[in-house]
Amino acid sequence: MTQQVLNAIFIGSIYALFAVGYTLVFGVLDVVNLAHSAVFMLGAVITYSLVVLHGMPFLPAALIAIVVCGLLGLLIEFVALRPLRRRNAPPIAALISTIGLALIFVAIVEQATPGTPFSWLWQDGPNSVRFPTEAVPNPTYHVAGLTIEGTKLGILATSVVLMLVLGYVIRFTQVGRALRAVAENRRAATLLGINVDRIFAATLFVSSALGGLAGLLFGLAISDISPYIGRDQVELKGLAVIVLGGMGSVPGAVLGGYVLGLIEVFAFVRFGSNIAAGVAFAALFVMLVVRPQGFFGTRLRERL
Amino acid sequence: MALALVLAGCGGSASTGTNPSNSYQGKTIQLGAILSINGAGGVYGPSSQKGMELAVEKINGSGGVNGAKLALDVKDDNSDKAQSAQVAQTLIQQGQMLALLGPTLSNSAVAVHPLAENFKIPILAVSTTGIHIVPDCNYPKTDPCKYVFRDSLGEEAAIPANIKVYSDTAHPKTGVLLVANDDKFSSDGGKIVQNTVSQYGIQLLDTVQFSKTTADFATPVTKAVQKKPDVIFITSLGGIPAKIMIEARKQGFTGQFLGGNGFNTAVVSKQAGADGKGAESGSAWYINNTFASNAGFVTAYKSKYNADPDQFAAQGFAAIYILADAAKRANLTFSDIAGDRTKLRDAMESVNIDTPLGRFQFTSNHDVKQTIWIIQMDGNGGFKLVKSVTPS
Repeated sequence: MTQQVLNAIFIGSIYALFAVGYTLVFGVLDVVNLAHSAVFMLGAVITYSLVVLHGMPFLPAALIAIVVCGLLGLLIEFVALRPLRRRNAPPIAALISTIGLALIFVAIVEQATPGTPFSWLWQDGPNSVRFPTEAVPNPTYHVAGLTIEGTKLGILATSVVLMLVLGYVIRFTQVGRALRAVAENRRAATLLGINVDRIFAATLFVSSALGGLAGLLFGLAISDISPYIGRDQVELKGLAVIVLGGMGSVPGAVLGGYVLGLIEVFAFVRFGSNIAAGVAFAALFVMLVVRPQGFFGTRLRERL
Repeated sequence: MALALVLAGCGGSASTGTNPSNSYQGKTIQLGAILSINGAGGVYGPSSQKGMELAVEKINGSGGVNGAKLALDVKDDNSDKAQSAQVAQTLIQQGQMLALLGPTLSNSAVAVHPLAENFKIPILAVSTTGIHIVPDCNYPKTDPCKYVFRDSLGEEAAIPANIKVYSDTAHPKTGVLLVANDDKFSSDGGKIVQNTVSQYGIQLLDTVQFSKTTADFATPVTKAVQKKPDVIFITSLGGIPAKIMIEARKQGFTGQFLGGNGFNTAVVSKQAGADGKGAESGSAWYINNTFASNAGFVTAYKSKYNADPDQFAAQGFAAIYILADAAKRANLTFSDIAGDRTKLRDAMESVNIDTPLGRFQFTSNHDVKQTIWIIQMDGNGGFKLVKSVTPS
């Protein structure tokens, strides 16, 4: 059982890290960025590509991938979000345009095999691969019957530290105050002299960089890198996490990630797979009925 | 030139032979294939197509079928059952097809095969390994379908053969089954494992079901490993068997992995890497078999496509040679298409040729009768042959 608790904490950290990026964009821009799962996938794919196809050591490859994912966030802002905002398009339009970008990102990777235009990025088409074991050492400890992996400990530490830093930045710095001002009221923030467009771009950059990091850590810990890891494994769960935590709340997304991880694992152990997904989403449903604002969310704004 | 000779040999009697049926001369034998080129089956369909097209090219290049040319029309069903049936309908309505091949997925076969049976047009499945494909294509009705055949080895044959071979040497006492519960292929495989193990004195300590969309397999694997089984059985598809092996080794499992068709691609072996070394399964085909009909196929495939063939390519290639052999012996008239289809069907029942899969025949149920190749992952993305099990 103790092993299963560890399992839950590790997968919870990945959910949390992924969902923090999701919720950040929602909190500031009021749109759900569905391209986030594709950026998550690209974080893993780009790191893999740099390590395996271009012979780079893991750490610099990971740093480059994180920066590239941040830049993709800017691409999302400039291509899929900003033009729509300029025309005062409804939030559903932004939702659809980010889905479109996600499909394009996935398709680019999915079609990439040797000899195709994107073979410098990916050569395994729709297949799943893992980092070569020699590229990323993963010391595994067996303590008192428990299996503890170096990579997973690293993920836990990285997630906790990053989320603390993010929390600090949002609460206590000038940028964070500007961010919260924009989230609170766009027009008022503009009148206060805050460059709203720049805040939006910065939000997308940070959110996507975190998404990319979550993706590459996922690829590392789960030994699964494919065009579909974002879409199949974390997209819906990320949405569930931010609903649990409260739409737009960063601490909520963190707590939500761990809670969903724990619920999933315990439901699996106790009831088996057929019921596990049901239990996780039943918990979500109960949350929506009992406390629709989530753990830490403020009131749910009505749109209709 | 040497290659051409090898391939002529590999087709058995399909190429120009001694039979002077000159009614074939200058005619065309139309074949239609329903394959999943896009969609979920898109990892298999293109391989089948390449194998088939290579076979057509080779047969036509060495004189055709008693002088008649083969023409293959491949249609994509997008891995969708309804589209698959519609594509089959179109091919049938053209009225020129002597036989059909496919469809790629068992799920679509349920719609397409009864249609072909109804129109009395022979159909040869090339990649469907599930249950109720042959002879009961109209399952739950049990009356045998007369026009439906398959050349893809079923899991019902491959999984038990593999368990038997392993048990005979290692005598495992206990096992745990890890099975995906949200697709037909995987859950059918799980049932076959459950029904087989007791025959070989293996006690199944637990069956752990999981969903294909499980992100982290640590949880189901922990559940399995804590039972301390001698063997972990895995019936699932895609990258999942590899992920389970990696996780189980991390958690200290030192026993044996046994599985089914889900193990049998180089992609899975590559992803599992050293953690998959020794994982054993029954396969319809083994790339390094050196008998002429396989060596010739592998060489020709590599030179045409610049890549290694896989099992689906081998089964597609074999399918064309099977149909060509039957067509050669069927005394086709080329004027009465309905009569020709029945003649072809009758001739298919007595096919007995060398293919890349080995010596190939159909059982009385139109299922595969061929050698089963028991293979192991070699830890480097490839496989090695453990044993060959000849059909009884």
